[in-house]
Amino acid sequence: MTAHALLPFRLAWRQLRAERARLFSAIAGVMFACVLVFMQLGFRSALFESASALPRAMQGELFLIHPLTTALFRPEPLPRVRAWQCLAVAGVAEAVPIYLAQTSWRNPVTGARRAIQLVGFDTEAGAVSFPGLSTLIQDLKRPDTVAFDSRSRPEFGPVPAILAERGPFIVQIGNRLTEIVGTVSLGASFGADGNVVMSETNFRRLAKNRDVSNIDLVALRLRPGTDPFAIQTQLTELLPKDVIVLTHDQLVAWERNYWETATPIGFIFAFGSLMGLIVGMVIVYQILFSDVASHLSEYATLKAMGYSSSYLSQVVLSAAAILAGLGFIPGALASAGLYHLVAKATLLPLRMELERSGLVWLLIFGMCVIAGLLAMRKLRDADPADMF
Amino acid sequence: MTDAAPVRLKGVNFSFGEGALRRPVLRDLDLNVAAGEIVLLTGPSGSGKTTLLTLVGALRAMQSGSCVVLGQELMGASETERVTLRRRIGFIFQNHNLLGFLTARQNVAMALELDPSSTEQTRLERAAFMLTSVGLADYLDTPPNKMSGGQRQRVAVARALASGPGLILADEPTAALDRQSGQDVVRLMRDLARQSGMPILLVTHDPRILDIADRVVSMEDGRILAETT
Repeated sequence: MTAHALLPFRLAWRQLRAERARLFSAIAGVMFACVLVFMQLGFRSALFESASALPRAMQGELFLIHPLTTALFRPEPLPRVRAWQCLAVAGVAEAVPIYLAQTSWRNPVTGARRAIQLVGFDTEAGAVSFPGLSTLIQDLKRPDTVAFDSRSRPEFGPVPAILAERGPFIVQIGNRLTEIVGTVSLGASFGADGNVVMSETNFRRLAKNRDVSNIDLVALRLRPGTDPFAIQTQLTELLPKDVIVLTHDQLVAWERNYWETATPIGFIFAFGSLMGLIVGMVIVYQILFSDVASHLSEYATLKAMGYSSSYLSQVVLSAAAILAGLGFIPGALASAGLYHLVAKATLLPLRMELERSGLVWLLIFGMCVIAGLLAMRKLRDADPADMF
Repeated sequence: MTDAAPVRLKGVNFSFGEGALRRPVLRDLDLNVAAGEIVLLTGPSGSGKTTLLTLVGALRAMQSGSCVVLGQELMGASETERVTLRRRIGFIFQNHNLLGFLTARQNVAMALELDPSSTEQTRLERAAFMLTSVGLADYLDTPPNKMSGGQRQRVAVARALASGPGLILADEPTAALDRQSGQDVVRLMRDLARQSGMPILLVTHDPRILDIADRVVSMEDGRILAETT
């Protein structure tokens, strides 16, 4: 019986196979849609991931931000005293102020200037852990020293290469000569092309025109065994309304939410994916439709022989499913290659993920099925009564 | 014996169009085809013979009268009943209508795939046997576009007969063929049908093939004019 269920599928495959040029253009159409959707969804998730790289690297259990802070690359300052006020709550072990600002960086090779993100904090507090930071803590205590994010965009200059070649060197950051003592790994985001990390004191040297009692973010370390949600409620009641208390997940989600809702970026990628699916659907529909239209008398003959309309519908849907599969596999492989190339060129975290592949497969399959359902309507024109 | 005849039509009326445009094509028509009988329908264009064939073949819904084919009353029959009946009828069309992307053998096997008890092997063996009996043993794996018109029509005959139908319906099977291949195809049909006692109802304009018939029925204006045996 199972062999019989496969007969419409086999007929569909034989029909597709007979017209090589048509088959390849259909596969190319599905591939195109597949690559487009993969790239759009990949960029979308890379954007959200890289945008939240900074909050994700933070080690605290709870965080304070100003309620008007929309995203960490553009923070609203809050009074530093809020950090110390938190210490009144028994469960809070440590409160670490974090300073954020953007300033210009002069490329050490070309001299070109570009905005870079400054991240200042007490490097010994352990509230922020960027890979590579632990070995630089002593060096960062010296005046006018910073650690450069090795995953910043290449426009900032070949800093890691120069470091490897001749050790720590001087660059100009915000009109001040500053020593690069090493590299950490953080990653470029859409909000910041590159980062430098430094101590509180050195931050103040670089960002001179701001009130020293203003900070941008507070990371709170809790005593072991305390419930972060209970402390969160307690702090929210205790502190004035110029701060909000977030857990680590909420802070990451806050940052993500900015890019998803306050910018058209999320919509653009969803729209791009939809366009790809529509173009792919039209191509698949055209191919399936012309396959039916050019075999109308043969299909009518099959109906006369006693094949039901639903059997022929299965043939068309099988053809759609075959095209989905044949287009998705090379499409996914091409996308994996493109991810690799684009990730190298843009330093965005683009990876082929199982979950996303599953989603794209469902979208591509759905696209082909809808095209098949549309093309199936043409089967009604195959009337065996017209055959005589 | 008349009651068991494979095809029994009584008082069949059929019209195309609605209201003022209503045009009757069959008027109060009676016709029987007995088991193993070969009946030729002739008549000028528009005489209703093709419509008659589509009604007997369950390709069109009946309007009035009674038409019993292989024991199935077609008056008021559902689409499913008609599709099921069609599986027991062998159709041969003016054009061969073979699937271009299948070989001769695969085309014939298509007629057998509707039987859920068949296996791929039995289908292909049966198809090869049928093609051999129409003289195409050397063309089993040839696609239709590499065959002559006569050969294609013989594949169509093999396909129509492959499942051992209870009735063969043919519409101008020689129209697209030259004299010699037309004669060959019709004689082949007759011989194969005779061997298994299948009745044939064949519509034709072609006077050259009248001699194969047991009975020739002439139609005009939706009525039977004369029957000659």
